[in-house]
Amino acid sequence: MTGVADITGARFEWMSRDELIKWQSEALRRTVAQAAKSPWYSARFREIGLDPSSISSIEDVAKLPFTTKDDLRLSYPFGMLTVDPEEVIRVHTSSGTTGTPTAILHSRADIDCWAELMARCLAMSGATRSDVFQNMSGYGMFTGGLGLHYGAERLGMMVLPAGPGNTARQIKLIRDFHVTCIHATPSYAMHVAQRMLAEGDDPKSLGIKRAFLGAEPYSEEMRQKLQELYGFKVFNSYGLSEMNGPGVAFECPEQNGMHVWEDSYLVEIVDPDTLEPVEEGEVGELVMTTLRREAMPLIRYRTRDLTSIIPGECPCGRKHRRLARMVGRSDDMLIIRGVNVFPSQIEEVVMRHKWIGGNYVIRLTKAEALDQMTVQVELSRSEFDGSLETLRHLRAQLQKELRDQLGFNVNVEVLEPGSLPATEGKAKRVIDERN
Amino acid sequence: MYNEVRVFVENKPGKLSKVAELLGKAGIDLLALEIADEGQFGVLKILTAEPDRAKAVLEQAGMTVAFNKVAVIEIPDHPGGLLQLARALEKAGINVTDAYGCILERGKRAIFVVKGDHLDQIESAATEAGLRVLQELE
Repeated sequence: MTGVADITGARFEWMSRDELIKWQSEALRRTVAQAAKSPWYSARFREIGLDPSSISSIEDVAKLPFTTKDDLRLSYPFGMLTVDPEEVIRVHTSSGTTGTPTAILHSRADIDCWAELMARCLAMSGATRSDVFQNMSGYGMFTGGLGLHYGAERLGMMVLPAGPGNTARQIKLIRDFHVTCIHATPSYAMHVAQRMLAEGDDPKSLGIKRAFLGAEPYSEEMRQKLQELYGFKVFNSYGLSEMNGPGVAFECPEQNGMHVWEDSYLVEIVDPDTLEPVEEGEVGELVMTTLRREAMPLIRYRTRDLTSIIPGECPCGRKHRRLARMVGRSDDMLIIRGVNVFPSQIEEVVMRHKWIGGNYVIRLTKAEALDQMTVQVELSRSEFDGSLETLRHLRAQLQKELRDQLGFNVNVEVLEPGSLPATEGKAKRVIDERN
Repeated sequence: MYNEVRVFVENKPGKLSKVAELLGKAGIDLLALEIADEGQFGVLKILTAEPDRAKAVLEQAGMTVAFNKVAVIEIPDHPGGLLQLARALEKAGINVTDAYGCILERGKRAIFVVKGDHLDQIESAATEAGLRVLQELE
């Protein structure tokens, strides 16, 4: 899109709401006009009789159609492209598990904008060009790797593109280059800590100051546990490949919700059934419209992530609103004996227990037509005092807390440390064997 | 006081073989072994002459191990051999809730292994009665 090359932009973070809304309205108008150049959206607009020029402010957003993951599949690979394919410099696809992939196509301006948004996130955490950054996230099609990499380089940090896995090498690199910031999935950060502890090493001795964690839902309790183990500060990151990847919303040092870059994304929270907006502070599905995308703008994209806007202003002074921790992806919601359960509710309870290591698995089975939940946890090596009575008591306590949290009986199995599969990328926490 | 070796194990076939194999390969002799079980998991309790080495060998193999203090008192191995110790404990007003006996040399020496609280009192009561409290097992 012409006219939006200037994205040097912490200034947007401090704009008054009025100024920001004015900017958003202008950007939305441009986005709709741009989207209309794609075969998909031009057909869609025609279908519902929408004249792109009738969109003049963010108040008009309700007139616009939603875009779903299925739409991305149907328009794969070039259906939503608004520019000549020659202008595209990067493609990220997600294969999913269901067959047809989806693709997001980026122009040079898009990649540039993404790097800048990501750099703003890192700068917000307090990181500067004097920090040393180890990216323990997968590169390739997974947007977490390249997204953070470009952002960190844009900020001017020393970047080590370590990628995931090979824990011994990760630890060596952190020590050799005095790494101060890392990016990883929470489960991998936990894995590294557990591994170090098992070898009699102390994760605090690494001297890491900040960890940028995301790509999978995790609880506040898990954050606390990681912060205690490493002595670093954890910053939550939210993103999805459809909205570039990381760099969409990020925590400030207040660590209370993730500021979503509203100069680049128009945010709505809707009831997933009625698609009507929910009251501020209420949980609903996050719907986003890109405000700066050139090659492939997305309009009212249904993220399927459930969250809420934290009401009120952040003490940090930034005017961009904050997303609460994701309750879960609507796809992740489990229905157990008719009760809606998010894995994060279970993690919340599990992580309160010091005697449990970082890894856990939720196993669902059926017995006599009734759903059964078993939570498998690993005993933390250092917490074993040799007493069966202690273990019996701890397990009973955990079972009780889970029952209080969920409203039904949960079986807890205590496993030997290291017996659950180690996770280097996104953790697979739920094993559903009900069918 | 003596260190009993305790191992956390999931209750699955093959776990006991693994412990037996590891200790056997290391040439560590077992004097006594108990299994306390909670259904899905349990704790193996091992009495051996080499508790430190046993702990190291099992930990090396990734197992979760802890020590538990016990009092080991030598008693004669013949009918009525426990009586002297039992009287001494009775006199000292000590209740024994968790203990077992095992033979060191048939017809000659046995040991009585006591667990739980008041181990100090148990040991002094045994010493006063002229019995040997073992700090080492051969």
